[in-house]
Amino acid sequence: MPAYIAKRLLALIPVLFGLSVIVFLMMALIPGDPASAILGSYATPENVARLNRDLGLDRSLPEQYLIWLGNLFEGDLGRSYSLNRPVLDEVLERFSATLILAGSALLLCSLLGLLAGVVSAVRQYGWADKLITLLVLVGISTPSFWLGLLLILLFAVNSQWFPASGMYAIYGGGDLADLLHHLFLPMLTLSVVATGVIARLTRTAMLEVLRQDYIRTARAKGLSERRVIYHHAFRVALVSVIPVIGIQAGFVMGGAVYIETVFQWPGIGSMLVQAISSRDLLLVQGGVLLVTVAYVLINLLADLAQSLIDPRLRR
Amino acid sequence: MSRTATANGLAHGRPGLWRLLLNNRLATLGLVLLLLILLLALAAPGLPLADPDLTAPVDRLLPPLSPGHPLGTDALGRDLLARLVWGTRVSLAVGISATLIAALVGSLVGLVAGYAGGRVDMLLMRAIDTVMAFPYILLALVIVAVLGPGLLNALYAIAIVNIPFFARNIRGITLGLSRREFVDAARLSGQSGRQILFGEILPNVLPVIIITISTTVGWMILETAGLSFLGLGAQPPQADLGSMLGEGRKLLFTTPHVSIIPGVMIFVLVMSVNLLGDGVRDLLDPRLKSGALTRPVARTAITHQVPAVTASAAAPRLDVRGLKTEFHMGRQIHRAVGGVDLRLDEGECLGLVGESGSGKSVTALSIMGLVPTPPGRIVAGSARLQGEELFLASDARIRQLRGAAVSHVFQDPLATLHPLYRVGEQLVEAIRAHQPLSRRQAEERAERLLKQVRIANPRRRMHAFPHQLSGGMRQRICIAMALANEVKVMIADEPTTALDVTVQAQILALLRQLRQARDAAILFISHDFSVVSALCERVAVMYAGKIVESGRTDAILSAPAHPYSQLLLQCVPVLGDPGRRLAAIPGQPPRLHALPTGCAFAPRCPRAEADCRHLSIALRPLAGGRWVRCLHPLLEEHGSA
Amino acid sequence: MRKLLAAIFAVLGMLSNAGVTATTPPNVLVVGQIAEPKSLDPHAVTALNDFRIIMNLYEGLVRYTPGTLEIEPLLAESWVISDDGLRYRFRLRPGVRFHDGTPFDAAAVKFNFQRMLEEAHPYHDTGPFPLAFFFSSIDRIDVVDSLTVEFVLTEPYAPFLSNLAYPTGLMVSPAAVKRYGKAFGRHPAGTGAFRFAEWQPNAKVVLVRNPDYRAEYRTDAAPLEAVIYRPIADANTRMAEMLSGGLDVMVEVPPDSLQRFRRDARFTVHEQAGPHLWFLILNTRQGPFADKRIRQAANYAVNKRALVENILQGSAEIAAGPVPPAFAWAYENSLVPYPYDPQKAQALLDEAGYQGQELTFYVTQGGSGMLDPVTMGTAIQADLRAVGMPVRIESYEWNSYLGRVNAGLEGKADLAEMAWMTNDPDTLPYLTLRGAAFPEQGGFNSGYYANPEVDRLLARARRSTDRAERARLYKQMQVIVQEDAPWLFVAHWKQNAVTSVRVKNFQLQPSFFLLLQRAAKP
Repeated sequence: MPAYIAKRLLALIPVLFGLSVIVFLMMALIPGDPASAILGSYATPENVARLNRDLGLDRSLPEQYLIWLGNLFEGDLGRSYSLNRPVLDEVLERFSATLILAGSALLLCSLLGLLAGVVSAVRQYGWADKLITLLVLVGISTPSFWLGLLLILLFAVNSQWFPASGMYAIYGGGDLADLLHHLFLPMLTLSVVATGVIARLTRTAMLEVLRQDYIRTARAKGLSERRVIYHHAFRVALVSVIPVIGIQAGFVMGGAVYIETVFQWPGIGSMLVQAISSRDLLLVQGGVLLVTVAYVLINLLADLAQSLIDPRLRR
Repeated sequence: MSRTATANGLAHGRPGLWRLLLNNRLATLGLVLLLLILLLALAAPGLPLADPDLTAPVDRLLPPLSPGHPLGTDALGRDLLARLVWGTRVSLAVGISATLIAALVGSLVGLVAGYAGGRVDMLLMRAIDTVMAFPYILLALVIVAVLGPGLLNALYAIAIVNIPFFARNIRGITLGLSRREFVDAARLSGQSGRQILFGEILPNVLPVIIITISTTVGWMILETAGLSFLGLGAQPPQADLGSMLGEGRKLLFTTPHVSIIPGVMIFVLVMSVNLLGDGVRDLLDPRLKSGALTRPVARTAITHQVPAVTASAAAPRLDVRGLKTEFHMGRQIHRAVGGVDLRLDEGECLGLVGESGSGKSVTALSIMGLVPTPPGRIVAGSARLQGEELFLASDARIRQLRGAAVSHVFQDPLATLHPLYRVGEQLVEAIRAHQPLSRRQAEERAERLLKQVRIANPRRRMHAFPHQLSGGMRQRICIAMALANEVKVMIADEPTTALDVTVQAQILALLRQLRQARDAAILFISHDFSVVSALCERVAVMYAGKIVESGRTDAILSAPAHPYSQLLLQCVPVLGDPGRRLAAIPGQPPRLHALPTGCAFAPRCPRAEADCRHLSIALRPLAGGRWVRCLHPLLEEHGSA
Repeated sequence: MRKLLAAIFAVLGMLSNAGVTATTPPNVLVVGQIAEPKSLDPHAVTALNDFRIIMNLYEGLVRYTPGTLEIEPLLAESWVISDDGLRYRFRLRPGVRFHDGTPFDAAAVKFNFQRMLEEAHPYHDTGPFPLAFFFSSIDRIDVVDSLTVEFVLTEPYAPFLSNLAYPTGLMVSPAAVKRYGKAFGRHPAGTGAFRFAEWQPNAKVVLVRNPDYRAEYRTDAAPLEAVIYRPIADANTRMAEMLSGGLDVMVEVPPDSLQRFRRDARFTVHEQAGPHLWFLILNTRQGPFADKRIRQAANYAVNKRALVENILQGSAEIAAGPVPPAFAWAYENSLVPYPYDPQKAQALLDEAGYQGQELTFYVTQGGSGMLDPVTMGTAIQADLRAVGMPVRIESYEWNSYLGRVNAGLEGKADLAEMAWMTNDPDTLPYLTLRGAAFPEQGGFNSGYYANPEVDRLLARARRSTDRAERARLYKQMQVIVQEDAPWLFVAHWKQNAVTSVRVKNFQLQPSFFLLLQRAAKP
């Protein structure tokens, strides 16, 4: 197992390397440059050239890339010119906020999705199944950015049950209750689609498992229905749902881009959008690398969890 | 072999795809909605709508139901209804084209990677991994930033972002297919890689591509809307639903209808696509085709009035009378078991023989209510265990009896053992379900059981997972499990069929020994006379849900009375390949949902005469306690001239 | 499972009770910002968003008199300009200290400008200083004595004083720069009424009252104990926060939302015109707009009243020419905007022989001072289409947009949206209307308008130290430019802000700066 983990982590290196090259190239292809972004209306060619020189952007692209790579090995991701602070500080701070949001959303959608999927399968064609199927369809058919706005309108503006934006109260607060209070709406919005996807797959997986011969065996053994479903069937269904949760992690992090913007959550998704628009190459680079590492790690974790449950997958 | 029976039944009587789709009420709703929306979008140029781009700043932000503007106007005074219709047109076109592009490119990548394998596969998949690891919406943002804004570029961005999804799905399936025999055959026949890929593999992958498309279109429409929402899609004055939402969003707190209307439209559109997509998936998914995705309940439904038990002193171990079990598939009724009587005395072993689909397994499973419902149900008859009517017993009582008084051994031990638990745990579970033992005691008992079924080194084997054991070993475990408690009747459903010949012999020997030691009655089901003859004193031959002949094994073996029994016996010249034997009987077993009147075997019977085809035929006694259901048996009837 | 559901509901209940959004405490003002500040170093920033914080932390030698664009003394008590307009000698206010306790003196002034302007300066690397060219006419700075400093210019430069009042001219503490280096932007120290307390990235910037702040010209210590700036990039979310009581002040309110706040007794709406111009650059080098009549026709064709009154809901005024009326002394009052007259436009188009060629129109999706660019662009597109000018919109995100437009429209577009906020009537025409300011020469004249008379008038006005003479020259220039119509003149924005009714003494400035020295919130 450790050898396998090491192998997977090693496989991450070419992906990261490839990504960093792609990010560099893409940022070079995007019209507009950081100097114009900073100077705004005052971006005369002369001013731009001077600012580029000050920022070290007058060097050739490969040269810039090599410098960046060299610094990377010393743990230095460079300095963001749009934020005027070290990329690493910003990226880590933002990432932890995203981790809280996306992590809790992923947790919520996994729990709700699995629960709904199992209930739906067990009560197949009953009212609970129909209700859940309907809710799931509504969930995966709703534009999440729009849903976020509606939730703000309903629960922050009209009823003021929850704050409209931010991560902590601006005055006082700062404890866990405060965080949860701020977290609730964005987390909910972010988890809607993934909950639907997971619930659907859990239902299908459960139904498929419930037809299996070993479930008949379990019944023939005289086990209670509860044990048959939650002990025998659910465990197998989980094996096929776990990788889906891993993939959903990617979608949740992607969706976080909208949700963080709408709820002003200080996460890495909204940071990357801003960084792209201000052509802050190093910030984009740092952010993308971190997000990629997280994505790969989550999927590795999903793989490990899967093989922990299913002995047939152990290597 | 209940699974095969139901699958066959379905395959014979499958109505057209369209009818099935329309049978699905939600899918129909989706289809109707989508057609309406499509029609509206296609007819947009001909509809009496206002000019969607005509601005009238004075009439801006009119509420819905204003004169001339049924849905009101937007921030520039443009008619929202007109913009909604035209915008839907654009959104649909973009969503569908993006899906098609992604499907085309992604499937191609998946096909090539899956088929070529090796370095090509690794390279392609690394590239796909890289794209997937990048948050999709950022990738789309960057692509649009590079290409410049515009609907077409947004379309490309969405398509590119979704290529990995298709590529990964298709690659997995291609990989599986490219190792199959028909591909090898094509390769041997000298077809080129391209011919194989597109001629042999693609047709098999196509349903999966279509399923993936139908479940992705909705998501793609949402994503396109997302990009337009961020202002990266449609360029003004052109509207798509996303950009309408984006424009209206600024006014959400003041004039919510401007954003709620396109939001609802997106929702309805995507919902209808998803409903239809689900329907299409249900139709094309091979797992769903076989009806495999209906959940069976814990016990078979019993729909008839079961006669109360009259106390009798000398009740046999198991007494089944007039059992009828049916499968209800849509409007069709498959009569899998059409009135079966069985009697099993103490220490007796009864063999039940017949072709696949003859109803022998369903008969066996009906006894303890293990026939899956839906679609199965027991519609007539009674089953008594030592005089206790099982069809009247409570669920709790049945649970008590299952695995204790009546235990089962099934055909494929790999499929019947739970793959994720150690065999020891499964055994312990079986014991503790019926005996108040501590874990420790149960483990000791399990170990003894394993010893009884001749498993060497039982303590170590208990820690193994099923997939780590050989087929014979697994079947021994299953038998041990069947013996875990005080068993009175053991129902063995083709317990040796999946095993190779030497192992088969070992298992039969084991069963014979155990039977003597335990004094348990065995109902032994097989399609193979030779196997049955090795174990059973009596045998019953089943065909099309009915017993056609029964009697002492040696008597039937030496002189079968029913033509079917004879043909079945002729299929067993020597011990040989188990799969091929039955092929010798010409013709097909009858369709269980359309049984002929008269003898069900008549169409295949060499002795059939006119009367066979319209008279209903009863089971009649022959000499030596034998029974046969035939008008023209090979032996003379008992007592007749 | 029932237990699980119960637990979920319990958590939900707990969450929604965890703290019903508290209203902000007294004497603390919470301001909704449109973005996270880039830096709090006044010389390193260019965005109005950053100025809103910085103007309360720092002071310059001079400032705009509150409520006007007139220059008055601040850190300098007085100044003398030599007759040739080349020497500016400032007498500094005594006894002023930076927030870090170090004294403000002539050496500090010199340090400030040298850091910006001299590449050899040891602290030049704490930049970059994008707007340093505001002071590129400075030849050298002499410290006459500890409270007297003299600037020597290379050529007469009339907007010099006005530029000193701009954030780029604010005075930072040299000691703090030396101490923090590149990180000075996150550890700012000035002489303003508020001092820096805390910057939680992406959450808030907190300023607290500077208790030592007092002097005759400067007001007493501010009534507010603290100001908290919250970056909320999304306009909707900002509005939601304002409505739900999480903000005391919200700036740049979309016009339609303004109506909602006007109707709500919990809020006060503030508006203030300023030196802003929203216009379309017309490509005079090639295509239909090379013909003056077609440019004029476009000016006639667009219904500016509808734009201003309906789409912008009265949050802007119709523009007549290139100079905003906020520069009252330099504005030509007799100038009448092009009226909305489609027939006249049609006639001019016919006269010029316009054949209905399709025009490409660059539209931005946002950007500083751009108001509601997509909606406005779409409305203009519809107006032009109505007189037979088919227009194709290409919209870009602001930075791409600037990259494209600033490089010149040749070969790409016929019209492009643009807006400027300036501090002197010289800036905009000098950078964008001179024949010597074509993009290839490093200017912003992206439409390639050139009129030698205009060039001459602008050059003279820039060198003159007599404001009456400058006013006359600018007025002449406006008449010519309006007639030549190198632009489609559209609107002057009235900036706005919404405050909760608890906020007192809040006033917007024509300079667009947010000054909170006098604001109170009991």
